Amino acid sequence: MDILNNLVFGFTVAFSLQNLAYCFIGVLLGTLIGVLPGIGPLVTIAMLFPITFNLPAVPALIMLAGIYYGAQYGGSTTSILVNLPGETASAVTCLDGYQMARQGRAGPALAIAAIASFFAGCVGTLLIALAGPPLAEWALLFGAAEYFSLMLMGLTAAAVLTHGDMVKGFAMVVLGLLIGIVGTDVNSGMARYSFGVPELTDGVGFTVVAVGLFAVAEIVVNLELKEAREVFTSKITGLMPTGKDLKDSSWPMVRGTAVGAFFGVLPGTGPALSSFATYLLEKKIARDPSRFGEGAIEGVAAPEAANNAAAQTAFIPMLTLGIPASATMALMLGAMTIQGIVPGPQVMISNPDLFWGLIASMWIGNLMLVILNLPLVGVWVRLLRVPYRWLFPSIIMFSSLGNFSVNNSPVDVYLCAVVGVLGYILVKLECEPAPLLLGYVLGPLMEEYVRRALLISRGDPTVFFTRPISLAFMIATLLILVVMIAPAVRKKREEAH
Amino acid sequence: MKFDLRNNKDFLAGLLFILIGGLAVVIARDYPMGSAMRMGPGYFPTILGSILCLFGVYVMVRGIVSGERVKGEWGWKPLALIALSIVLFGFLIDRLGMIPALVAMFFVSAFAGREFRFKEVLLLAVLMSAFAAGVFVYGLKLPYPLFGSF
Amino acid sequence: MSWRGQIPALVAAALLGAAQPAAAQVSASSAGYPGKPIRFIVPFPVGGIADIFARVIGQKFNDAWGQPVIVENRTGAGGNIAAEIVAKSAPDGYTLVMGSIGTHAVNVSLFSKLPYDPVKDFAPAALVIEADGLLVLHPSVPAKSVKELIALARTRPGQLSYASAGNGTASHLSGELFKSMAKVDMVHVPYKGNVPAITDLIGGQTSLLFATMPTVLPHVQAGRLKALAVTGSRRSPATPELPTIAEAALPGYEVTNWIGVFAPAATPREIIGKLNGEIIRIMQLPEIQARLANEGAKFVPKTPDEFSAFVKSEIAKWAKVIKESGARVD
Repeated sequence: MDILNNLVFGFTVAFSLQNLAYCFIGVLLGTLIGVLPGIGPLVTIAMLFPITFNLPAVPALIMLAGIYYGAQYGGSTTSILVNLPGETASAVTCLDGYQMARQGRAGPALAIAAIASFFAGCVGTLLIALAGPPLAEWALLFGAAEYFSLMLMGLTAAAVLTHGDMVKGFAMVVLGLLIGIVGTDVNSGMARYSFGVPELTDGVGFTVVAVGLFAVAEIVVNLELKEAREVFTSKITGLMPTGKDLKDSSWPMVRGTAVGAFFGVLPGTGPALSSFATYLLEKKIARDPSRFGEGAIEGVAAPEAANNAAAQTAFIPMLTLGIPASATMALMLGAMTIQGIVPGPQVMISNPDLFWGLIASMWIGNLMLVILNLPLVGVWVRLLRVPYRWLFPSIIMFSSLGNFSVNNSPVDVYLCAVVGVLGYILVKLECEPAPLLLGYVLGPLMEEYVRRALLISRGDPTVFFTRPISLAFMIATLLILVVMIAPAVRKKREEAH
Repeated sequence: MKFDLRNNKDFLAGLLFILIGGLAVVIARDYPMGSAMRMGPGYFPTILGSILCLFGVYVMVRGIVSGERVKGEWGWKPLALIALSIVLFGFLIDRLGMIPALVAMFFVSAFAGREFRFKEVLLLAVLMSAFAAGVFVYGLKLPYPLFGSF
Repeated sequence: MSWRGQIPALVAAALLGAAQPAAAQVSASSAGYPGKPIRFIVPFPVGGIADIFARVIGQKFNDAWGQPVIVENRTGAGGNIAAEIVAKSAPDGYTLVMGSIGTHAVNVSLFSKLPYDPVKDFAPAALVIEADGLLVLHPSVPAKSVKELIALARTRPGQLSYASAGNGTASHLSGELFKSMAKVDMVHVPYKGNVPAITDLIGGQTSLLFATMPTVLPHVQAGRLKALAVTGSRRSPATPELPTIAEAALPGYEVTNWIGVFAPAATPREIIGKLNGEIIRIMQLPEIQARLANEGAKFVPKTPDEFSAFVKSEIAKWAKVIKESGARVD
């Protein structure tokens, strides 16, 4: 067993005191920035980049990788506790995680998030070791047309399957795409929808949208009634998931891992799509889809598994082909080149200590994260016993400081107030914010891909249907539409009769 | 109450979509459209804005037909106060420093709550500001002055 | 104003037990320069060669001067956004930009309206590196030499597509120059930086690319891409077997990519001098020299005045090329 030997070798590398220490620093820092709104893994890794010059390659990469996947663990905490997604990928976790917290089940939600992440992290790590190179080859088949069709499918599913009604879901996706377009057009350099505000030429920041749409709107909804209403039930039922919880989450965890691993390998989709996709899948196959959005534990387990699996498999193209899937990966690749390691397929052979040591350290890092996060569950849950009239100004404080810290710009803070007002109005009009957020994240990417696909095809729009993978996604998009619209139309007819 | 459009949730949602979509299209007229092969910066937003308008019209008409009302009351007062507290924070942190900005934020946002107890809010503001100063300024060494301008 | 991302670095410094100097008070005098953190803006995405060298230089500045350098990537519009920010910053040496052949030589002729003047708005501090490009093809393109490529492009006008790292980058201009000198028609497909352009080329989505050598060499060695020639005036020590495009088919063809550090115009001369001296010292460190040689890049020390003259000559050269080729922003 070659793989086994290699893994054993990897573990001997990862278990050195120095590597363990850097792995711990990485995952701890990752969890921290995941919890705080505003600062993401990309900025953190960019800042730590120079520090790694003075480190050997292996611990340097182990630490940077730890930050990356550690942030996925931390991101879910604020989603569940206060409806505030810490990272893009954990926005979906808000939908059911926050409802669980309101029902006194924050403990199980946080614990299942950690367990799902751990499970997915382990599987993802194993996938890198077992099937890295073929998966990376497969990912190369994706061009601009494929990515566009894939995103179209994702957005269609998001619009159709989230809570409220479908047409509003689509409208929210489109609204999100438009918000995503604000800023400078990459191709022409033209500032769009910036209204003369220089800060807007950089676009509307993710934290601004997430805080305004989710946290601020939710607070106002809770405060709108004149008589007091319990936001979080005072009855807290257990800190750890029950046997039933674990049973309910086990298959969603497996499916979430599979979906996440799929999206992670594809350079250029970003982590958000994977968690949305798996949430929608769970909702579609659930026996009782109405529980979703009301605190279904599957709605936490599946997306948390997905985003962590994606965070792991995103390393595949970088490690096996030398192709970074995201800006964060590009930085890690940069850290490798700075150390004199030529990235590419030969890394596995020329630097086995790096390749296998990194993989082993990821597994250890995931273990550290679960050990770090499970005891914290009790601490977090206690936070919810604080009276709401103390809690909500504090949430606003952390959100605003987080927003301000991204660019040190008051404009971001003002924008967040604007998005908050918009978010509240949308919630009152029963328009779901989740599809909007996905549209916002994918907007600029979709535009880039559709423009490039048509440029490569010399303006021929059939390119989306003549390339097999793209065609498959297009058919799937159509199927989603038909499956969802048909019952609605039938119902309408019956009503008319 | 079929024709009470002011509280008709789908009518209002549709109206909002039409307004935003229309605005997007109108502004995008200043951007070059290009062709389908070489899309200019105006192409994609124009299409999106138009689609949003279409959805808006559909939702609006549906609202007029069904006449469903917005659930619950509008919380304009808490909304205004929360938004104001956030704006105030952004406005003051550059000018007076982090602590005054946070104290102002706490007082204004606490007014949005159902009960306002001056002593309690003061205590909360002082405690949380100290906490924020400890974490952000001393712990993370963010270059924000506690008092005074940048 | 932006301190983007200070937090994690400082947390990490605390965790690593390293001492991190606190942000000192503002002082614009050149005597105490640098007296506070320096903001170093890179017009290109993270992980690219300009970004990596900006971070290396930033770290060495910090080691030598005890002031942190905050590298900020402001991409888009062929680097114009980043250049504009620095052009409009206070000329105190605390805001620098890693300019390039694009931002400071090409864009002024390529873009119809540039929000800054590459000569009047900047004080050139130091040339950092000069690097040759490599003409690479997807292996499925049936051409084994530059001559065959030109012949192929002539038989299939408008069917080959060349990727580039973005409008106004050396890789875009190399393509435009090639098109106009070889009199062929190819479609330009811009990307956000070298890396996604290379990824799609490996996947066969585009036909060819003029890439910076270091990022693309490993893929050539792995056989995923086919290299035909270098774009410089001389063969590169990193790939001695490859001809230059000039000797292979198009006499007079030459594109050399370069990056350099610029400060806003009116920055005190002493500060410019200090930056120039420090960058020359850093670039001549043995570990940096070794890296450059591996990657087909080189460093030729230039004083600020020499660099300034170099920039002006580049602007003149590219104005002519762009006019003749009819290149435009897509």
